[in-house]
Amino acid sequence: MTPSSTDLTEAQVRALGAALGLDIGPDDLIEVTHRLNAFLDALVPLGELPASGPEPVPAPVDPDRAA
Amino acid sequence: MSDPGDDLAFLGAGALARMVRTRQLSPVDLVNLYLARVERLDGRLRAFITVCADEARAAAREAERAVARGGKGGPLHGLPFAVKDQFDTAGIRTTVGSRLLDGHVPAEDATVVARLKAAGAILIGKLNMSEFALGGTVRFPFGQPRNPWHLDHQPGGSSGGSGVATAAALAAFTLGEDTGGSIRGPAAYCGTVGVRATWGLVSRHGSFGVSWSMDVAGPLTRTVEDSALVLGLLAGPDPKDPLTSRRTVPDYRAALTGDVRGLRIGLVAELLDGGTQPEARAATEAAARVLGKLGAAVEPVSLPALPLAGAAFMALCDSEGAAAHQRWLKERPQDYDQATRRRLYTASLLPAALYHQAARARARIRHEVLDALGRHDLLLSPTAAGPAPPIAVEEEPVTSKAIAARRFFGHRSHGTPASLAGVPVVAVPCGFSSGGLPLGLALTGRPFDEATVLRAAHAYEQATDWHTRRPPLRP
Repeated sequence: MTPSSTDLTEAQVRALGAALGLDIGPDDLIEVTHRLNAFLDALVPLGELPASGPEPVPAPVDPDRAA
Repeated sequence: MSDPGDDLAFLGAGALARMVRTRQLSPVDLVNLYLARVERLDGRLRAFITVCADEARAAAREAERAVARGGKGGPLHGLPFAVKDQFDTAGIRTTVGSRLLDGHVPAEDATVVARLKAAGAILIGKLNMSEFALGGTVRFPFGQPRNPWHLDHQPGGSSGGSGVATAAALAAFTLGEDTGGSIRGPAAYCGTVGVRATWGLVSRHGSFGVSWSMDVAGPLTRTVEDSALVLGLLAGPDPKDPLTSRRTVPDYRAALTGDVRGLRIGLVAELLDGGTQPEARAATEAAARVLGKLGAAVEPVSLPALPLAGAAFMALCDSEGAAAHQRWLKERPQDYDQATRRRLYTASLLPAALYHQAARARARIRHEVLDALGRHDLLLSPTAAGPAPPIAVEEEPVTSKAIAARRFFGHRSHGTPASLAGVPVVAVPCGFSSGGLPLGLALTGRPFDEATVLRAAHAYEQATDWHTRRPPLRP
């Protein structure tokens, strides 16, 4: 895995954090940037799944739970 | 191990309960036995965050008086247990493995703790864990938990202390909590049995939440029979957790017939490949042969969406965590372990659209798992990609995207599919690596069919001797 042109930079990650009120300090910024870029790459295949299919119900609540 | 009490300490919870019930064993002596082992061994293992010695001895004296009065007691009467520090305990500090909650003392027991106490069990302490049950902690605020089979290796997370305390017989049994493998991982790495039940079978009340839609409390024990015993006491509806199932809880121990003839078991291709180390793969295939000889029909099954499970799980779970921690991330970031803080920062920055794509992926994975379980009674796979890694691995700096991808997103496909699907899994020991570290087998079943999962795990356990081995600790 190599850095790509779409990878976020440290400055961009710091700005994203600031927009949320998070002060991502210099000790954390390098790793957070690598983590976020790796995370976004790992999620790319999810966007390629067909939009149709099972409904995204958050939790499999037991259908027999009602008394 | 050379202490004369060792054999007793390693006896199963069921056997110990019978000895207490028949007055062959005093609850006071039993509590003192385990507390002495904690005193002797936990300086190195660091399984415990808090030891409740005074409270445990007082409860043991009361349990002994009850036995002397001829009282029958509950099914766990006089048995010492310990719980992950994620579960509330009335009057006893509950840190969730973090400095942020160092002084937190709940007023009420979590439902699972209350149920075990009502069954007669005696709480001896609170167990170490990854900070906020998120895994990946670099510097544990209450000491680095260590794998009893090899002290330089991780015990797994996030219920690491539960795995250590069970494997090293520091309690008769323990409780853990599993969101994406947090019971099963420590069970596999430490060589114990661990149960993640169907989501909704066990109350979440009083457990610090990681991901509400995937959190499940469950036992870690040295035998499958003990897990069946404890799970039967934990399970069942709880008015304090309105999403618990109202189904009648079966007698799981009665299901342990040793008979797996006719069971159809799917050996999951994607979890045998996909980064699984050769020793873990070989141990799983050997276990499949054992189950085949016992009369089960084992055949390969493919679940093509499973490789997406790790990323989907992380997007869902970490986003929930990030939302829950926003205030502390802004006000007390320095009080987190650096790995937890960086993980939560990262998840805070994920676009909402990706969260919803992950939710769709979860639905697809759940559909695939349930579809496979429509054709098979059980699914079989390695619990983890390999044996416990060295502790030092977590301390290596993350200096590139490739390292981040490998470290944080490359190894989560083994535990997460069952979490996303909400189905039950039992992790059971299935061998050892060439380095002497345990390997684990995962048996996954249909929703609320814990009985079949435990039956197969028990049959496999009894056909092998992995569960009889003890870690090579020295006093």
